[in-house]
Amino acid sequence: MKFTRRSVTTMIGAGLAAPMHFVRPAHAQPKPGDELVVGIWGGAQEKIVREFIEPKLVDKFGCTVSYVLGGTLERRARAYAERGRPSFDVLYLNIFESRQAVADGVTQAPTPAVENFENLYPIAQKGGYGVAFNPCTVVYDRTKASAPITSWKDMWNPEWKGRIAWPEGLGTQGVSALMMTAKAWGGTEADFDLIVEKVNELKPFAAIQSSQAQLFEMFDQGICDLSVEFGSFTRTYAESRNPNIEIADPIEGQALAMNVACITEGTRNQVLAEEWINLHLSDEVMLAYAETIYYSPTTKSVVLPPELAAKVITGPQVDQLVDFDWDLINAKRVEWQARFDREIAR
Amino acid sequence: MRGVGQVLSLPVTLWLLVAFAAPMGVVVLLSLHEFPSPFGPVIQAPSLAQYGLILSDPFYLSVIAETVGLGLAVTAISAVLAYPLAFWLARMPSRWRALAFAVILIPLLTNVVVRSLGIILLLAPKGLLNSAIGLFGIAPFETMLFTHGAVIVALAQVFMPFMVLALYDSLQNTSPSVNEAAQSLGASPALRFLTVDLPLSLPGLRAGIIVVFLMASTSFVSATLLGGKQVWTIGMLILREAITNLNGAMASALALVMTLVCLLFIVMTTWVMNRFMGWRNGAPGTPVTLPAPLVAVIDIVGPWLSRVLLAISVGLLLLPLVLVCVQSFNDVPLATAAGFEGFTLHWYREVLVVGNYASAFWISVQLALVSIIIAIALALPAAFALARYPFAGRGLLLAFWMLPLTLPGVAIAVGMLKLLQVYVMIPAFAGLTAMHVVVILPFVITLLTTSVLTLDRAQEEAAESLGAPPLRRFVLITLPALTPGLFAAGIVGFLMSFGEVTVTSFLATARMTTLPVRIYSEATFALEPTAHAISALLIVITTLALALLGRFIRLDRLYAR
Repeated sequence: MKFTRRSVTTMIGAGLAAPMHFVRPAHAQPKPGDELVVGIWGGAQEKIVREFIEPKLVDKFGCTVSYVLGGTLERRARAYAERGRPSFDVLYLNIFESRQAVADGVTQAPTPAVENFENLYPIAQKGGYGVAFNPCTVVYDRTKASAPITSWKDMWNPEWKGRIAWPEGLGTQGVSALMMTAKAWGGTEADFDLIVEKVNELKPFAAIQSSQAQLFEMFDQGICDLSVEFGSFTRTYAESRNPNIEIADPIEGQALAMNVACITEGTRNQVLAEEWINLHLSDEVMLAYAETIYYSPTTKSVVLPPELAAKVITGPQVDQLVDFDWDLINAKRVEWQARFDREIAR
Repeated sequence: MRGVGQVLSLPVTLWLLVAFAAPMGVVVLLSLHEFPSPFGPVIQAPSLAQYGLILSDPFYLSVIAETVGLGLAVTAISAVLAYPLAFWLARMPSRWRALAFAVILIPLLTNVVVRSLGIILLLAPKGLLNSAIGLFGIAPFETMLFTHGAVIVALAQVFMPFMVLALYDSLQNTSPSVNEAAQSLGASPALRFLTVDLPLSLPGLRAGIIVVFLMASTSFVSATLLGGKQVWTIGMLILREAITNLNGAMASALALVMTLVCLLFIVMTTWVMNRFMGWRNGAPGTPVTLPAPLVAVIDIVGPWLSRVLLAISVGLLLLPLVLVCVQSFNDVPLATAAGFEGFTLHWYREVLVVGNYASAFWISVQLALVSIIIAIALALPAAFALARYPFAGRGLLLAFWMLPLTLPGVAIAVGMLKLLQVYVMIPAFAGLTAMHVVVILPFVITLLTTSVLTLDRAQEEAAESLGAPPLRRFVLITLPALTPGLFAAGIVGFLMSFGEVTVTSFLATARMTTLPVRIYSEATFALEPTAHAISALLIVITTLALALLGRFIRLDRLYAR
């Protein structure tokens, strides 16, 4: 009962917020000295936006840019607490958080007011403005594999028994692993019973991994040989520390995951926020993301050098990325996480 | 003197009423919501639905039991490992003592993710421990990681220092004459420890047990990273409900259930420990005759056992140092516990030249300094009230003062998020200071109360009989005698504030970001060795500061000079 009523509340909230999207008030032009507040991860992404986006925006409008650094979960909790009166103008979320945030009236649905919007792949035009594809797939130690992994079903090959580090719960990697299990075995996202049954066949796990740092440590220490992880970080890890690690490209496709730039509902810097995102979608920034952290471009126009293009997802590969029914997953998230805790992890 | 206790208790109570009662109240109200509603009003028709869900779900109940068990194990191990170390510190020549404190502060200065990687390095199938026993031809233990044992080791590593600090002041406070008396009666060092130092250090042990248990039972990071989902704590569930599921109601209810458990633990610990401290109220001792064979065994085993335990605890505390130093020069894009790929100064350049760490560092230093000064100013009168001026309702008040420690940081954050619209009207620095003082107050109160309890009243009475007025007595006798306690409380409070990330990460603003929040924001994206370089720099700075401090303040008692 609890979950049904909760989703009803969510739907009512979304329903009340929905008409807002059709009203586009005339936005005041930015004045010199206006401050744009951007919520983003620290590290490489912060460096790229500071280097490539901030100076151009400041040149054009005479504004200032401030950053609130942190993980998406804290950002999202803040944005929800401040709905309608946000202290952020732009905030970066992951794929499922962004779609839920639009439904909950916390952030705006994307519009062509951002010039580069039309340049985005269609799957990057949902829940905000997709700024980077960062798909999840099977990653494994090729020296432990009898044959290269070509399907998500290969995880059920007995040679991996006891050697899999399954990703935790319904985080990005976890959802990818669970939902691709359903798709690979002939089900849909709704077939959670099938998912639990199939995943339990893989037990015992070597461990359950909660972060990339932890997974890579497990590979280093020989604790596990296979997991589901972001291809981008795994490539950096494989190139710098562990050449035996392979990033599979399964026939069912890699699971779509994406960083999304979102404009908050109620921002007082609409024009600045739109221009910020427009600059983020420029070829220059897309290239910097791909070069620095192997994040794949979400715009159709950018051309990558061939050796770099081979390491990220481009062109026709984008069509093979598997997108999930996020409305369903978000509605079922609490229930499924509880079942994961009790029936798979415990 | 009537009313002195109440007056001395007032400042700290007022501060907590202003800065802590509001988020706490929100947490209580949220826990009474029938359904989670992220955007609903805080005040709704009260319902016990969330508590009903917890009490009727075997999963929640088993996690509560698991958390308590974990907390007890961590507390026990911390106590066993902390005694030899505290004893060693208390007997250290006073000029080296401040510097020696650096040993117990290393884990506190090391980023939590880095620390957890250190434990993986220690316990992994190809890790340090297995390599060491391999030298003796023993086959490696493959399954030490992702067990309760691994989490307990990790938590003991970071919480043991608090136990050491609590014990240190009591242990070095034992009057040498008592020890000499025992020695003249033929007691060996091991026997003297058991019959003299141990009983006299019980006030410190009581404080240490309470603090360590409370911290261990609200923790979640180590359990997440080292438990591999084999280990569950209530802290993990609270974080999940509050942040991932946006279910503030369930998170609040879970937090309050855990708060109740913690308060119960405080009451029981205090009751049990006080039964062993009859001497404090002048109750006559109950002499026990130890059988001669037992004494012989104690004399043989004691010295060796204490050395082994000391080696283990120092080794455990220094482990992150090794990892931090090696990795901070490692030429890899993602930090790791294993494998050195090449020497580089790149990460130090990133920290010192390229990155914007300096401003965050100074904000953290200022915040920690202001917070600890305020906290000591509030807690010192409270400590005297607790130790010297008993009044009715003192126990209840103490429970209120300890509440911030029993409520997980995530729960405080949930309460603050609901108050964000009010909170943002306060200047950012003042707002953060208010919260940091709340977070560190329980530690400072606990440590200072122990110090005041163990003060030698005879010295003050001697000064009084010689005609010294109260202020003079306080400045010349009491304050110098309190120096070790103030030092311990000051360092712990400073570092707690300096390292606070759970609550701060929800309240940091664009212009006011602390160093740990900055590191955390990077580590959640990808853990680069910059985190190690920062930890290494902090360790060096702290060690230098302690060495300098050791030249100016004496950390031993007056009669030791």
